[in-house]
Amino acid sequence: MSKKPGMAQALHKVIMVGSGGVGKSALTLQFMYDEFVVDYEPTKADSYRKKVVLDGEEVQIDILDTAGQEDYAAIRDNYFRSGEGFLCVFSITEDDSFQATQEFREQILRVKNDENIPFLLVGNKSDLQDKRQVSLAEAQSRAQQWGVPYVETSAKTRENVDKVFFDLMREIRSRKIEDKSASNGRSKDRAKRKKRKCTIL
Amino acid sequence: MAPPPVVTGISPKEGPPGTRITIRGEFLGSSLQDLIGLTICGCDCILLAEWKSPNKIIARSGACKGRGDIIVTTRSGGQGTSTVQFRGYHETIGPLKESAVWVEEAPIQSYVWGRRALSPTNQQDDLLGISVEENEGKKFPEDELFELFGDASSDLTSEKFHPGMFLLQNHHATSFDDLKAGLSHLQRKVNSQKEGQLSFLKANVGTVMEQLDTLTLLKEQYESDIAKYGKKPLEKLEGSIKKSMGDANQLFNEVLARRERADATRNALAVMQRYKFLFCMPVNIEKNMKNGNYDLIINDYARVKNLFKNTDVDVFKKVLREVDYRIETLRDVLKKKLEEVPFTLEDQKKIIRHLINLETDGDPAWDAIASHANYLKKSIEACTNEYLGTENKEDGGKEVYIKTDTSTPLSVRQFKLTKTEENNAPSKVLCIEALCDIVMEQLPDLWRLGQCYFTGQLHVTVDTEKQEPFKNLVLSNIRLAVNSMKATCDASLTAPWLLHNLKCIRHLYAALIHLDLPSDALDIFGKFIFDLRSQCLVGILKQTEDNVMLLARKETWEIEYLDKNEGVTKLPSQFEQMVVESAKLARETAVERGPRETALFDEPAQRLLFHEAIKKLFRAFTCCLRELAFSGSDDAIDDEITTVSHLTGSPSPYRIRDSKLHGPTAEECLLISLSNIHYTLKVILPQLTENLKAQEYPDLTTAIGFNTDWTQLESLDKAVLEAYLERRSDPLIGTIEPSMYVGDLDWDSDLPARCVKPYTQEIVANVITVHAEVCRISPRLLKRVLSHIVENIAEEVSRVFSCVKSFSHEGVVQGRTDILFLRKALESFSSHRAKCFFDEALNSIPKITRKDDIEKIDILLTKVYSRMRLQLSCLKDSVDSRIDVENLNMTRLTIV
Repeated sequence: MSKKPGMAQALHKVIMVGSGGVGKSALTLQFMYDEFVVDYEPTKADSYRKKVVLDGEEVQIDILDTAGQEDYAAIRDNYFRSGEGFLCVFSITEDDSFQATQEFREQILRVKNDENIPFLLVGNKSDLQDKRQVSLAEAQSRAQQWGVPYVETSAKTRENVDKVFFDLMREIRSRKIEDKSASNGRSKDRAKRKKRKCTIL
Repeated sequence: MAPPPVVTGISPKEGPPGTRITIRGEFLGSSLQDLIGLTICGCDCILLAEWKSPNKIIARSGACKGRGDIIVTTRSGGQGTSTVQFRGYHETIGPLKESAVWVEEAPIQSYVWGRRALSPTNQQDDLLGISVEENEGKKFPEDELFELFGDASSDLTSEKFHPGMFLLQNHHATSFDDLKAGLSHLQRKVNSQKEGQLSFLKANVGTVMEQLDTLTLLKEQYESDIAKYGKKPLEKLEGSIKKSMGDANQLFNEVLARRERADATRNALAVMQRYKFLFCMPVNIEKNMKNGNYDLIINDYARVKNLFKNTDVDVFKKVLREVDYRIETLRDVLKKKLEEVPFTLEDQKKIIRHLINLETDGDPAWDAIASHANYLKKSIEACTNEYLGTENKEDGGKEVYIKTDTSTPLSVRQFKLTKTEENNAPSKVLCIEALCDIVMEQLPDLWRLGQCYFTGQLHVTVDTEKQEPFKNLVLSNIRLAVNSMKATCDASLTAPWLLHNLKCIRHLYAALIHLDLPSDALDIFGKFIFDLRSQCLVGILKQTEDNVMLLARKETWEIEYLDKNEGVTKLPSQFEQMVVESAKLARETAVERGPRETALFDEPAQRLLFHEAIKKLFRAFTCCLRELAFSGSDDAIDDEITTVSHLTGSPSPYRIRDSKLHGPTAEECLLISLSNIHYTLKVILPQLTENLKAQEYPDLTTAIGFNTDWTQLESLDKAVLEAYLERRSDPLIGTIEPSMYVGDLDWDSDLPARCVKPYTQEIVANVITVHAEVCRISPRLLKRVLSHIVENIAEEVSRVFSCVKSFSHEGVVQGRTDILFLRKALESFSSHRAKCFFDEALNSIPKITRKDDIEKIDILLTKVYSRMRLQLSCLKDSVDSRIDVENLNMTRLTIV
């Protein structure tokens, strides 16, 4: 019952976004429980939280697995607001889902009102290369345009699954440290940060 | 002890009560049994929890509200913790929400929208733009809040909103920095709202200008329109719209009417199609009637009745009437069929069932029984008429047939009618056969039908009062049949046919017994059969009697010697054989008891009848014998008279008749008959009596008058004997006197007696002739016959001597010698009476006075005895005749 606020463990809030059926829940469950769910069951809004060791530091990751279906588009705003980092997932076998990432990106930016919010573009189902519709170059160019990293994953083979979550957590962490060190002039800093990020990438 | 369970995942993270929740984590129990507790937001949900794996539980949320932990308790790990939280909320059903129950939409709609507007719950959560996560689970105690602020509220929308309370409730654990950041966030928000209107205008200048332009344009357009179309363009418009509407209606009316007609037709067709079954019914009924598929009709009819019985539709009613009419015809047809043609039982049952299924009025089953009975009666009558009607025509032919038939001996072979014989059978027999067939075919069906009726197998209400009428029907039919048969089985039929009939009827009777008919019905038949049996018996015996009568023709007169003393023809044994054969036949047929038949001879009347018949048989035989006995008389008479007397007439040689070639003489006939009669009486009758007894016939000896010349053979015996004696002794006697005086014999002369007179020798010779004749046929009769003859001779001799008026001395000697010689010669056959007559004769001769006369007589007698030793020995008793024969040979030598 330690009530030290914020000190005990860092909590990183990750939100999974993307069209329906691209594999958000599959990625989450693979990451959380090392299991691959074959059956498709549309998600409404799932919540997961567990302890992970991030670069030697024990942190908690909170994953909000959202609904991809358009039916729930209206309530996304509320979820997005609490998110600290976003995994924007699409299926490389479905061009529509890739196109929809644009919308999600815009919505997140609008809600968070922050250009540099931690964000990863994830092309899932990399094991289904023969059904690929979205080319690597195409995806990479979009990521570059947004100034975010692009990673291809496979929830089935667990390829790059841990990588995307840990990469995102690192970004969130660095972002939090940055926020703490400069608690004022947020907007200026952000602009500066953005500039720096661009140079890194 | 395993580590306590930890819940790390939840799907979904919020929902109304009853939401299916997938809970994931670690150590959630090693088995279903290990999981002992589950609370979601404080609600116990273990009842609906479904343990899947140590990492996964599926449960349903309870009636909880607000955020709460998910606590899993396991036996092995104890109470666990949760890193995620579930939020329960109560859902109100709105117009966009799927619902399993019907929701009255209109009032709720406004309520829901209004409520939404009033309670921006989501904004409240994040009023300061800072996370409230850290505060959750560490709520400020409500008691303290109440103490601090009284009845103030932390609800933003409430009138009693108190900012302090709000902060304490939601942010009491937030750091000051965060609160400051929140304040600035709030300020920013407020500022943005305040600046809102102006900045909005600024941002949207282009749009506003555009709107203004549009408004201006609209106004100009409106004004120009007024100028163009006047102040009230609406009226004009209305007029033209109405006109166009009228035109349109006119245009479409025709089309609509046509469509309506088409719809009506389609509807009618649909109805036709739908109730095709009903409309096709009449046709189907007729078709099925033609094919005999009554079952189908009944099924269809029942279905139609079920479906349309209470219909109000006129068309249906009409069709139903039609159907009813057809069904009525069908009923009539079936009824007629039931009455007319004889069916098998199954067919009858079927028709009855059909009629019942068709709900026919009355009692079709009973009608069927009645008509069946009626049919049976009619066919019996028709059959009787057919055969007996033609009988008159055939009478002539039949009579001839029967006559030829009578002579044939009874044999079992004849009782079996072969096909070829069928034509020859008398129509009465054919009639009986036909009747039997009819009864055999029809009655069982009738009876079974009745049984079915009363045991309720015909599915009709059983009218038990009809038991009696039914029984009467059956009985009357049986009676009718029996009467018809009785009428045909009259005396004019011969035994073979009677037996054939008996066989037929017995066969029928056996069949009926199997039917379990009531005993009084069977008794009718039983009685008839009993009568018929007795009739058969009598018939058989009668035929035997006829045959016996004809035996006379078969007499060959060949004599068989049963032993030394008895000679008979084959006749008696033939007679016996006939009687035994017919008795055996009768025993095998008529007397034998069939099932349910009584012994024939239990009734005294039958015994009497039997005795009478047997008596008749014997009498017939008697007649036959009588006929035979007197058959030889006519042709032989002339010859015989001459042969008797050698002294009076011209001597003619004794004719040795070859009986084999010419048949026996009258005397032989008489004698043979006499022997036969004797044999029959003494041997055949007892033998037959025993034989019949052995065959279980009533004892003959118990017959009335058995001992008083029952067979009339005894009287015949007497008659024949008398006839014979008459024929033999009369001429013999008659010759005595003439022969005595043939040589002018005078008892008064003085001629000395040298020998016996010739007449005595003639008498002895004649007696020897008779003796030989009798002895040749049956020595047993000798005594009987000869004693009579000797008696007569003695009587005659005594009469002749009593008539002599005077005797001389020599005459006395002569007479005495003659009489003594005769007496001696005939001694062995003399009865007491004969001896008396001889004594009388002697007495009529004067006594001998001189001694030398006596000596003289003795000398004379010895002389005669020795001379006639041969003749005398013939007349000796058969016992010592053998010795005589030996002596005879010696004397013959001396004579020669």
